[in-house]
Amino acid sequence: MNLKRCFLLIALAGSLFLTACTHKAHKITATKMTSEKGGIHLEVKKYTLDNGLRLLVYENPKLPIFSYYTFFDIGGRHEGAGSTGATHFLEHMMFKGAKKYGPRQFDTMIEGNGGNTNAYTNFDNTVYYESVPTKSGDLNMVEKIIDMEADRMQHLALEPAAFEKERQVVLEERKMRYENSPQGQVYLTLMQSMFEGTPYGGSVIGDVSDLKSLTRDQVQEYFKKFYTPDNAVIVVAGAVNADEVYSMVKDRFGSIKPSSKEVREYRLSRDDLKLYAHKANYGRHIKLHSVSKTPMFMLGFPGNAVGTKESFVRDILASILGQGESSYLYKKYVTGKRPRLSSISTHNYTLKYNGIFWLSGDLLKGQNINTVTKNLLKETQVLCTSAITERTLQKTKNQYLVGYVSEIETNRGVAHFLGMRENFFGDYSFYKKEMDIYNAITVDEVKSTCSDLFKEKNYIMVSTWNKYPKKS
Amino acid sequence: MKKFCINFVFIQVLLLISLSLGAKDFFSGKVKKLKWDNLEVIYLEDDRFPTYQFNIYFADGALSDGSVKGVTSAAFNFMTLGTRRFNRQDIADNLEFYGTSYGSNVTHEFSSYSVSGLVKDIGPTVKKICHLFQDASYPKEDLNKEKKRILDSFENLVSSPGALASRAFREESLSGTPYSYPAEGKTTDVKKWNKSLLSKKLDYFNKSVKKRIYITGPKEVLLIKNVVNNECGWKGQGTFERVVNYKKPTKHLKPKITLIPIPQANQAQVRIGKFLSNDEINEPELMQLGSHFLGGGFTSRLMRVLRVESGLTYGVGAFAGGQKQYGRAGISTSTKVESVGLLLEKTKETIKKASAGEISPANLLRAQGSLAGSYPFGFESTSSYLSQLTYLDHRGEPYSSLFDFPEKVRAFNSEQVAKMIQSLYGWEEQSITIVGPRSLKKILEKYGDVTVKNYKKFL
Repeated sequence: MNLKRCFLLIALAGSLFLTACTHKAHKITATKMTSEKGGIHLEVKKYTLDNGLRLLVYENPKLPIFSYYTFFDIGGRHEGAGSTGATHFLEHMMFKGAKKYGPRQFDTMIEGNGGNTNAYTNFDNTVYYESVPTKSGDLNMVEKIIDMEADRMQHLALEPAAFEKERQVVLEERKMRYENSPQGQVYLTLMQSMFEGTPYGGSVIGDVSDLKSLTRDQVQEYFKKFYTPDNAVIVVAGAVNADEVYSMVKDRFGSIKPSSKEVREYRLSRDDLKLYAHKANYGRHIKLHSVSKTPMFMLGFPGNAVGTKESFVRDILASILGQGESSYLYKKYVTGKRPRLSSISTHNYTLKYNGIFWLSGDLLKGQNINTVTKNLLKETQVLCTSAITERTLQKTKNQYLVGYVSEIETNRGVAHFLGMRENFFGDYSFYKKEMDIYNAITVDEVKSTCSDLFKEKNYIMVSTWNKYPKKS
Repeated sequence: MKKFCINFVFIQVLLLISLSLGAKDFFSGKVKKLKWDNLEVIYLEDDRFPTYQFNIYFADGALSDGSVKGVTSAAFNFMTLGTRRFNRQDIADNLEFYGTSYGSNVTHEFSSYSVSGLVKDIGPTVKKICHLFQDASYPKEDLNKEKKRILDSFENLVSSPGALASRAFREESLSGTPYSYPAEGKTTDVKKWNKSLLSKKLDYFNKSVKKRIYITGPKEVLLIKNVVNNECGWKGQGTFERVVNYKKPTKHLKPKITLIPIPQANQAQVRIGKFLSNDEINEPELMQLGSHFLGGGFTSRLMRVLRVESGLTYGVGAFAGGQKQYGRAGISTSTKVESVGLLLEKTKETIKKASAGEISPANLLRAQGSLAGSYPFGFESTSSYLSQLTYLDHRGEPYSSLFDFPEKVRAFNSEQVAKMIQSLYGWEEQSITIVGPRSLKKILEKYGDVTVKNYKKFL
């Protein structure tokens, strides 16, 4: 080892940090949920390359680390019959080597230098992320990550032997998340039933038969169509210099060609709102056999797309009805005079082009699932007038403020927070509008949306229990 | 590859020094030890957010339980069921109105209660928490409802094979020690919980057990001193700290395998590990490095062998760590039923090779770089920083060991790591717990004596 060079670099590394320390870490001074003066404000620089790639940078010099996120606008909704799970499979293969950085180099470089990396896929997005020390000796990790990400965006190897090994891994993941999990089975069945006949009616993890027959060519096809700079957003948050990051990203990603007109048109065709309209067969109860000793259920209602005014009001409604021990349904069904459930919660799940609102819970031993279903449906016809008050609304707004602040405590949190909004709304600062919208919502609006949601009895009940026959 | 390795060593040495400087410079001046009357307080100043975290540490845990177990855990969990002035719905509504998060964590050795929320609401929130500690009445009707919920959830654990495996594994691998019984108790205990037991237990923790406060946020959070001293009544008067005298369990000469059959399993949950006595947990950094080498992250040896090379599992992780008087080492994974044998073979082989010193310089450096380099992430959120300080105080270690961590990790050589892996994961001494179909018994008998146990024994 060259010690002289070593000491020089130690000095450089030290001075880099000291320079960083002279900045005061960003301070959030939210005292009420608003984007006005004194509210949450993140200082972000946004750049757009000629090929359409968007880059967001948030400088936070508190510690010598950063997080790097890549959001691709591709998910399970882009798959067709016979190829469910392809997007998620591709996500796995993105860690298996590319042209410049071959097998095992990507994760070895990141983990070997103290970082971590992972990814997730849902119906709308595929998201890759790394959190890494900014410098590793004389190695500029920001530059290295950008170089590795640019390599795999262009030249994914999809090596056949690794592809087959990964097929087994995905099948094991499927077992863990769904086949051996009653909750997972109920969730999958509800989603497929509620979104039947729409691009959200598939399965992100993939059907077993599709996973077994998926070919490398099919996955390659998804990669070519969707992993292009004009279909991606990069977010970097941490101890970095925004202009330097931009310069490096431009250098590595600037020459990557955007999608062809044909591919863009194909992608646009998958964004047609008509495709996503609910067309489910409502008013039914699907019963699944499982090992669950007491029935567990999800009761779903058709919801709305993310970002609509209605979706914000329904977020509040979900919180008032079933989030926390003081929520309406929890007090009535779990801790009330005659408890029927051991747990209940409500959730407003908003996807890009549609959504679902659900109640989920577990029955106490001895309770009858048919009676509970009947009670809950009856309850939905009366709760709008009794559950929603000025106090429960204000409580929810207070909780949301705490939630917003806790989301942005880490670089990872900030990067995800910004990237989600940029990817969905084309506006990373959409959180300011959101906070204003939530803050302005009134009791009457929540009551009105509550009545609309439940008036048609457009529900699908899915439950699971070991007393159900094996095929029902 | 060689060039890569040389550069790698060089880079890691530099990283160690730069990161040590970084975190230390940022935080060392921000931790203050205070006394609120005689009560010890650790304050971590952080004015980036309008939020606080307030943790109360108690130097005793589930080991204080008598013949009825889980009482400590229940006494903390059920404080919110009611007091003489407020019912459970008032309490939940009041705390949740402020957006407060609250809850307890009871281990065998120590307990803690955590509260967090917006700084502007810290006064009334902590006042309410103090009221709960002083006046919790455990109303019979609400207590019975909670007991029923817990009993139902125990019974339904069979639908969460991973959780069932981890629970059973603790009991099997720590068998013969005071730490094997679950801190939250079992069905027979839950049935015996009553108002009197829980009230006495809370009173004991309030009056007799040593406490320490950990708090983070802007300076104004310190204004709650009077609330803590007067409303909680904690002024440093409790002094008891749990110390246990126990006999080390005898080592077994071949793996002890427990099969826990569950219906309709198409996947097997596998847990492998052992108990560590207090003389085996004196090198926490080396223990972490050994387990990280074997099963930390996507690049660990087991992840490479079991997932990448063999496609046998979705994930595998290894851990090793100690509390004050005992520790645990373990490996956690799952695989399809038909490949359990192969997974055990490959795990055994990987451990054997590493224990025999087959540790390449590149792999050792990767593990060292990964562990030492990730150290600043532990300071990113103040709650995680507070947890680290709490842990060090519990073990009686100086805070400087936090900042010395990367340097220590990078100083170990392959011989030391191999020896530690043998000590933690030496195959013959392992307890192996498998949750899966009964048909696995025949396969497992190739690897040691198999005892089949009904899952209900662990509930």
